[in-house]
Amino acid sequence: MIENFLAGSAALFGDPFTIGIFVFGVIGGMLFGAIPGVSMLTLAAILLPFTASLEPAQGVMLFAVIYCTGTYGGAITAILFNIPGSPENAPTAFDGYPMTQKGESGKAVGAAVLCSAIGGIASALVMMAATEPLANWAIQNIGPPEIFALVFFGLAVASSVGARTIWKGWMSVLIGLLISTIGQDPVGGINRYNFGLTDLAAGIAFVPAILGFFAVSEIFVQAERTAAGKYKAPKVSMAFPSFLELWMHKFAVLRSILVGFFCGILPGIGATLAAFMGYGEAVRWSKNKEEFGKGKLEGVISSETANNAATGAAMIPLLALGLPGGALTAMMVAVFQMHDLQPGPLVFYTSPDLIWVVFAAMFYANLSILIIGVIETKTILNLLKIPFQFLAPLILMLATIGAYISRGLVLDVIVMFLAGILGYLLRRTGFSIPGIVLGLILGTIGEQNFAQGMQMVHYDLGTYFSRPICSVLIAAGTLTLLTSVYKAFAPAKKPA
Amino acid sequence: MGRLNRSHLIEAVVWLLIVAVFYAYSFEFNQPIEIYIFGATAWPRVVIALLLIATIGNVYYQYKNGSDSQSGIVGATPDQDDGADFSDSSTLLRMLAVLFTPFVFAWLLKPVGIYFSAPFFIAAIMWLFGERRWKAILIMTLVIYAIFIGLFLVVLNAPLPQGNTSPFYDFSAWILTMNTKLQAMW
Repeated sequence: MIENFLAGSAALFGDPFTIGIFVFGVIGGMLFGAIPGVSMLTLAAILLPFTASLEPAQGVMLFAVIYCTGTYGGAITAILFNIPGSPENAPTAFDGYPMTQKGESGKAVGAAVLCSAIGGIASALVMMAATEPLANWAIQNIGPPEIFALVFFGLAVASSVGARTIWKGWMSVLIGLLISTIGQDPVGGINRYNFGLTDLAAGIAFVPAILGFFAVSEIFVQAERTAAGKYKAPKVSMAFPSFLELWMHKFAVLRSILVGFFCGILPGIGATLAAFMGYGEAVRWSKNKEEFGKGKLEGVISSETANNAATGAAMIPLLALGLPGGALTAMMVAVFQMHDLQPGPLVFYTSPDLIWVVFAAMFYANLSILIIGVIETKTILNLLKIPFQFLAPLILMLATIGAYISRGLVLDVIVMFLAGILGYLLRRTGFSIPGIVLGLILGTIGEQNFAQGMQMVHYDLGTYFSRPICSVLIAAGTLTLLTSVYKAFAPAKKPA
Repeated sequence: MGRLNRSHLIEAVVWLLIVAVFYAYSFEFNQPIEIYIFGATAWPRVVIALLLIATIGNVYYQYKNGSDSQSGIVGATPDQDDGADFSDSSTLLRMLAVLFTPFVFAWLLKPVGIYFSAPFFIAAIMWLFGERRWKAILIMTLVIYAIFIGLFLVVLNAPLPQGNTSPFYDFSAWILTMNTKLQAMW
């Protein structure tokens, strides 16, 4: 492992152009994560077509670095504006934004910097040690039935996170799945739901959909606040937390690393569920539960450690099984495909150099959060003093270009703005935007693997469920759904 | 009616319409696939059926509990307490303009192209976000347009929509020619 890591480091830092791409990814991920309304996904979507002209290792490494630093960068907007840069930063806003309102934004951002770096580095180390053995095991044990079962389990968990009720969580995931059926079916290539539009035969590209659901709908939410005269510029402070304050939360950090790594392995959920569960566990173990949601540092620490701990773990299903763990890792699949590569167990044998460059880059990117993050964050805190009326058109222009250049279709720009309106309306009514996006991303993967699995077992469900991993995952997913059904009939939260 | 209100009913009708439209349209591609006995419709129809069940469950929950969040839910979006009052027609009109201006911009991309339409779009969004100082709008429009041209055309040479009607197409062609001349100077 150490030799491979050193070889990956040498390949990364041995070429000035590769170093330039790494630095660009580190700074770009943090910057785009920290601009309200856009996220690392926006940057990734804009860069996606340009990765075709890069070497495969450079392209995949760039996205891996953006994933690490962007996951941290999104915390800044969550803390300062109550706008998570990406779904995995959503729980950070629960306590981060109240801290900003109390004039403790620097303390919250400082904790996010340190804990993101710790979570990410720990995860990168485990990933380096565990991905390759897992890949070897996966070749022998994982097939389409298991992948479908993993998708089923992931979606079952996703449906219980992020919406105001379990019913709305299910509806969010299911509408995402339904949108994913637009275009050609993955088995017979038959056109579905193209409503007479030839461009829709290629399906709804997830890049414009993600840009619409996250970035554009955020802008519409801000527009509503501006129209209501309730938009508040964030209070900016530069006071970072003391060592003692952070040391007091060492157990929260450790717990969130474990939670983050476990969740990161789940395909389709990854860092988002990790952050929610990290936060939830912090509340559960705390003696002062009532302080959460009112500006408690532990809330920020728990969610930020967990979501970055999931970044390395999310690479395991991506690289070992070819299953993306979220929106950005799904774009990484596209980068692989652009270079005629397919992520999955074989990539460890066909392209080992690429894998170790990516691993090394992720390790150093997490380390950079600690070093560059402190410096860059102080700059970003000042940049965020730009009035939102000037940021909004810039963000919309970037999103327009990001949506268009991925396939060169104006239809994608229209889809993005439609998704923006839909996302804005669904947010107002308590639906889960991350749930919709995960349904959209995993829908085609789930259908394709279900079909292949059924063909493999000659439509015999007995054979299908006799596969141990498949049956365990289906049982776990079913148990999750049954728990949700039980919760669905639970009474509503009493108003405070 | 329990605790159901008008917005709950509208929400339910919209979701049921989605279910109905997608189910009806599924007959358009109801063809057998030789290698797959479930065909192209099975998966979407299962999703539609589950969506119908979830919609009915949602209506039942709202009948019992209204808009209250469910207990024990993780990461729910908070109730919107800082939203606009849409009973004021000017606020409603402004919000509708914010929602539909990007649409108009998107529809114009094909005939007019991005190079001509972008400055008007940038200025319109600033105005809709409450900026009324025309000098600020002008300067910031130029700054954002320069960033857009500099980054995506000059540095990245990104292929962007040029429009297909005159004189907009000619304007885009002129911008591209200027860029080519600029690149030749380096």
